[in-house]
Amino acid sequence: MPPNSDPAAGRAEPDPPPARLRSWGPRLRGSMRTTPARLRALTLLCLLIIAGLFGSATVTLNQARDGLTVLGRDAGPQAMATTELYLALADMDAVVADVLLMGTDHDLGSGRDEALAQYDASRARANEALLQAASLTEGDTVEEFNVQAVLDGMGTYDQKVGEARLLNDEAQAPPGDVDPRALEVYREATRLMHTELLPKAFNLGLDSSAIVRANHEAGRSSVALGLVWVGVVGAAAVTALIGLQLYLRVRFRRRFNAPLLAATAGTVALTLGVVLALNSSGAHQSGARDEGLDAAMALARAGAIATDMQADQSRYLLDDDFADNYQQVYLERAQQVLFRPASTLTDYYEAIGEIPDAYPDLPGPDSTDPRDPGTLGYLGQSAQASLLSGREDALAEVLSAYSALQEEDQRMRAAAERGDTAAAIDIRMGVAHADDGVFTAYTDALDGLTDLHREEFTTGIRRGDAALSHWSWGLPLGSLVLLALVVAGVRPRLAEYR
Amino acid sequence: MWFRHRRGAAAAALGAVAVMALPACSAEGEESLVDATSLTVGVKEDQPGLGLDVDGELVGFDVDVAAYIAGHMGIDDVRLVGVTSAEREEKLISGEVDMVVATYSITPARRTEVTFGGPYYVAKQDILVRADETGVEGVRDLEGRSVCQGAGSNSATRITEGLGIEVRELQEAETYSACIERLSEGSVDAVSTDNLILAGFLAEDPDAFRFVNNPFTDEKYGVGLPYGDVAACEAVNKAVSEMYQDGTAVGLLEEWFGETDLEVVRSVPQFEGCA
Repeated sequence: MPPNSDPAAGRAEPDPPPARLRSWGPRLRGSMRTTPARLRALTLLCLLIIAGLFGSATVTLNQARDGLTVLGRDAGPQAMATTELYLALADMDAVVADVLLMGTDHDLGSGRDEALAQYDASRARANEALLQAASLTEGDTVEEFNVQAVLDGMGTYDQKVGEARLLNDEAQAPPGDVDPRALEVYREATRLMHTELLPKAFNLGLDSSAIVRANHEAGRSSVALGLVWVGVVGAAAVTALIGLQLYLRVRFRRRFNAPLLAATAGTVALTLGVVLALNSSGAHQSGARDEGLDAAMALARAGAIATDMQADQSRYLLDDDFADNYQQVYLERAQQVLFRPASTLTDYYEAIGEIPDAYPDLPGPDSTDPRDPGTLGYLGQSAQASLLSGREDALAEVLSAYSALQEEDQRMRAAAERGDTAAAIDIRMGVAHADDGVFTAYTDALDGLTDLHREEFTTGIRRGDAALSHWSWGLPLGSLVLLALVVAGVRPRLAEYR
Repeated sequence: MWFRHRRGAAAAALGAVAVMALPACSAEGEESLVDATSLTVGVKEDQPGLGLDVDGELVGFDVDVAAYIAGHMGIDDVRLVGVTSAEREEKLISGEVDMVVATYSITPARRTEVTFGGPYYVAKQDILVRADETGVEGVRDLEGRSVCQGAGSNSATRITEGLGIEVRELQEAETYSACIERLSEGSVDAVSTDNLILAGFLAEDPDAFRFVNNPFTDEKYGVGLPYGDVAACEAVNKAVSEMYQDGTAVGLLEEWFGETDLEVVRSVPQFEGCA
C-alpha cells in the first residue's frame, strides 16, 4: 500500500520502533554525583548567564546609541536640509516674479540688486540641500531619480528665467507691465517649477521624513526586543544565583552566603538599571523626533508654502490672463498653511482675522456648525499640539504675522481690482521688503518658533545620549564585580573539598 | 521544597522586567496595510473613465491605479467594491474597505478622519461646453450663461462666489451624468467640475463636447487609507512615484483620456504628507 493513500490505513500500521538515542542521562548523572562537581557546574552556569547578561545589554545599548546617532547626526539633520530644498526653489521663483514685476524701476521694495543677490543665495541653498538629499536617499532608485530630475530641472529653469529677464530688460518694460515675450518665457519657467521641480522637491522632503521614521521605528523595535532579552537573561541570572544560594544552604548548612547575596542584588540592580536607562533614552529619542524634528519640518513646510504664496501675489499682478488661476492657487496654498472653512478669499480673510484674537483658543468644531472641522493646516491645531509648554507666545506671534500677511493681500487685490496697478505693486513690494515687509516679519516669527523645536530636537538627542553614557563603563565594571562576587562566594566552599 | 522558592523568585523577576519592557514594545507593532495579504479597495462604479461598472466588471483609471499600488505593495488578492462619494469616509472608517481610490479629493477636513496617500493625480476644475459653442474661451465668459453642477458639489459656487462671476442660472442635477445629458440637449450652457471627470464623459462621445481648458483649481485625488496608517501612506507614495517614473501613469492617462483634448499632467504630483 503506498504511503499517504489512506490516513486510516496508515494509523493501523504499527509505529516504527523509536530510533535508539544515545542516552546521556546516566553519564551526566555519574559526573554530577559528587557535591563539588555539582557546585562547579552550578557556578559555571551562573557565570555564563551573567556573561550573557553583559552581552545582551551591550548589544542593546549599542543599538540604542546607534539609533540616537542616526537620528541626531545623520538622517535627522539631512531630512531637515532636504525640507529646505522646497523653500529655496520657491524663493527663486518668487524673486524672479518680483524682478519682472519691478521692470525698469529698480528701487521698488528693497531693490533689484538685493533681489538678484537673494536669487543667487537661494540657488546655492538649493544646491546644498540637493547634496544632502542625494546622500540621504542613496541606494533608493526612486528617490535618486527625483534628485537627478530636480538637478536637471534647475539648470533648465535657470536658463529660462535668465532669458525672461533679458527680454524684459531689453524691452525696457515699466513696472507691472511685463514684456509679452518675457512673460511667455516666465510662464514656461514657473510651470516647470510647479509641475516638475517643486513637487519632486517636496516629495523628497517627505521621503526623508519617511526614512527617518522607518529608521526610528526599526531601531526602537530592535531595542524593544533587546530589552526583553536583557530582562529574560537578567531573570535567569537571578534564578541561577538564588539556586546556587539555596544549594549551598542545603549542602553546607550555612544560612547565607553574603557574596552571593550581593551578586543577586547586584544582578537585579544591573538589569533594572539597564532597562530603565534604555527606556528613558528611548523616551528622549521619541520626543526629539516628534516634538523636535517632525514639528520643525512641518513648520519649515509652512514657511516654504507661504513663500510660494507670496510669489502667487506677484504672478497675479504679472499675468492678467491667468490672474484668476493665481488667485485661486493662492487660496489653496493658504489653506494648506492655515485652514479655516472658506471657499472664497473674502471669507478666508475674515476667518483668519479672528484667529489672533481668539488665541490661545483656536476656532474649532463647535455646536453652531457641526461641519466646521477646526483650525487645521501646518500652523493650526497640529502646531499647537506640538507646542512646548510655556512657549505659547511664539505661535501667537506667527499667527499674528500670518494674519497681517492676509490683510496686506486683501489690500493688494482690492487695489488691483479697482485698476490701481501702481498701488498694488507698491503693496506687493512692501510685503516682500527685506527689512520691514510683513512677509519678513512672518518668516522671522516662524524661524523663532522653528528654532524652539530644533532646540528640542538637539536637547532630546543629548539627553538620550546622557541616559546611556554611564553604562558604557558601568556595564563592564558591574559585570566584572558580579563575576568576582560569585567566585568569591563559592571558592571557600570548594576549598573544603581539597 | 526550594524549587518553589526558585520559581517564585524567577516569576517575580520576570514579571518586574516585563513591566519595564512593556512600554517599549507597545510603541511599535501597530497594524498596517503594508503587512496585509489581501485588500478591499473602494472605487467608483458610475464614473466613466475612472471607475465604471461594465457588465459587472469595474474598469477605469482609478481601478488601474489601485491595482498598480496594490501590486507595488506585494498584495495580489485585491477585491474591488463600488462606493459612492457620500459613503467613502464611512466605509473606510468602519473597515468595510481598506483603501479608497475613487476621485477622492484630499481636503483638510477629510484629513481629520482619513489618512491620504498621494495625490496620484491633481485634477483641475474645468468647464465642458458643446463642441459647437464658440463664445466660451475662459471662465469669465460664463457670465450670463447657465451652468450645471452635481448635487452636493460646490464647483459652480467657486465660479459664482469665488471668482464673482454672475451666471444667468445655476442648475443642480442629481449626478454629473444628468448634467452632461442636459448639456447635450441644450438645456444648459456649461458643466463645470474636475477635468478628469469631464474627460471621462467626453471620452464616451469625443465629438459632442469640448473643454474650455482654463483650469482654475486643484483637486488632489488621493488614496484614502485608515486614519493613522503612516506606513501604508508612505508605501502608497512610493508606488505613485514609481508609477510616474516607469511611465505607467502616463500610459494609463493616455489609455483612458487620450481621445479627449484634456491636457494631462505627466509628472508626479506634490504629495500631501502622511503625518
